[in-house]
Amino acid sequence: MFGLPWSTTLLVFGAPLAWILYTLGFLVVTRHWEREEDEP
Amino acid sequence: MNPTVLVFLVLYFVIVLGIGVWAMRRGAGENLEGFLLGGRTVGPLVTALTLQSTSMSGYMFLGAGALSFTQGYWALWYAAGDLGGGVLNLSLIGRRMRKLSQILGALTCIEYLERRYPSPATRLIAAGLTVFLLSFYVLAQFIAGGKGMALVTGLSYPVALFIAVAIIITYTFLGGYLAVAYTDFFQSLVMVVGVLWILAASIAHLGGLTSANQAVAALDPSLLSVWGKDLAHRGQWGVVLGAVLVFSIGYMGWPHVVTRHMAMRRPATARMAGAYATLWNLLFVPAPYIVGILAIAILPQLDDPELAIFRVSQALLPPAVMGVVMAAIMAAIMSTADPLLLQTGSVASRDLYERFVNPGASERQMVLVSRGLVLAIGLVGYVVAIVQPPAVFDVVIFATSVLGSAFTPAFVCAVWWKKANTPGAIVSMLAGAVASVGWQLAELADRTTVHPMAAGILASSAAMVVVSLLTAQSAPVPPHILRAVEEAARVGPIPNAAR
Repeated sequence: MFGLPWSTTLLVFGAPLAWILYTLGFLVVTRHWEREEDEP
Repeated sequence: MNPTVLVFLVLYFVIVLGIGVWAMRRGAGENLEGFLLGGRTVGPLVTALTLQSTSMSGYMFLGAGALSFTQGYWALWYAAGDLGGGVLNLSLIGRRMRKLSQILGALTCIEYLERRYPSPATRLIAAGLTVFLLSFYVLAQFIAGGKGMALVTGLSYPVALFIAVAIIITYTFLGGYLAVAYTDFFQSLVMVVGVLWILAASIAHLGGLTSANQAVAALDPSLLSVWGKDLAHRGQWGVVLGAVLVFSIGYMGWPHVVTRHMAMRRPATARMAGAYATLWNLLFVPAPYIVGILAIAILPQLDDPELAIFRVSQALLPPAVMGVVMAAIMAAIMSTADPLLLQTGSVASRDLYERFVNPGASERQMVLVSRGLVLAIGLVGYVVAIVQPPAVFDVVIFATSVLGSAFTPAFVCAVWWKKANTPGAIVSMLAGAVASVGWQLAELADRTTVHPMAAGILASSAAMVVVSLLTAQSAPVPPHILRAVEEAARVGPIPNAAR
């Protein structure tokens, strides 16, 4: 893709994708944080 | 120099100085918590962007472009780690460190380490390493700022350096952490706009990304591979690992970066800050590297790779946009220099002066001492940068690798491993620093194909685990600290907290 070897394409697109998935996972796993912090 | 470029730069400087004055009026200098942590009032967006712009120095506009100009797509291994550095930092230690630091009553990250690993030796070693390494790092940013200003304005290096340093010192001196955080926020936006503009212009100039890559391949096809020019790094997974680690988990060991956690409005701020950090990184991080690669095709005869991004901007952009790009480069440099300066001043005042010289100092005295040290360190940095400026990016890589190696296990284990004790932390910091420095001085990276950062982290992590376990009976973690770490792990309100 874009004239790049497959391994470079994997690095260029795979790394951002991996971090996007990590961030989404973090948001899902921690969705209760604000609520539980506000509880007395 | 083009007057339009000058107008943009002057406007940029006026805005950052204005933020400094605003922060001072908001009461940032009235007490120590206000000056050092902005009164712990910083929300998720500003937290994310100050964390990111602090982490990304002038390196991104000078060093990253140079690396990809000389090594092609290999340089993106560094970007691969860097993209997740913010969210990794915030998700792993952000919430817990914010909570634990308040429970333990710590105002600087070094004080935090001493409260978690109680011993004067913890503070002395951590503060000594921090002041020494951050001073070098500040110096590197000053020099980069001076060179950048000289390049843009046509002024002589000493005059340009004086202007750059004076502006940084002034707003840091006036507004402390709050000024630093909000100028960083503004500067991070300028950085994104500037770099994306150059990237878009470069891609358009070469007729699209595919054509651009074909043009680079026509000059040297190995530059499109993930193994560097002439495939020089083929199979060197130790070097690849270090390249990914240095700007991902390495950030968790940088004192001026983890201080951002302690200043958050509340522990849960880390959650949205992590999302904003990833979003900003996706926009910003890959761009300088890709512009550096495209510069191979745009300016194949370029003699100084560190000027790749600057020369591409000069070649492709109109003066008004060039002004934005120059402001972005100065923003990258200044947004790293200001927290470094504040952090070095804070640690020297709170963790060395107050702890070991004048324990009875009042809050007002301490703010004065912090400000005085910001001024003194800035002036010494200016003199050294004039008299004998070292190579900027050698200093940056040296200082950041040693900081990450020395402190990452200490900060991570502080909130995640209850058995981590004082001897373990002290030996870990020393082992990480010695291994990383030794690796670089002995030039072992080339012989072993293991990056100094990887070697340093391995040494400090092993030392933390082995020494903590061996001394678990003789130096147990005090019960009140165990309770505090358990409380920090629990998601809930901060006990006995003022807010």
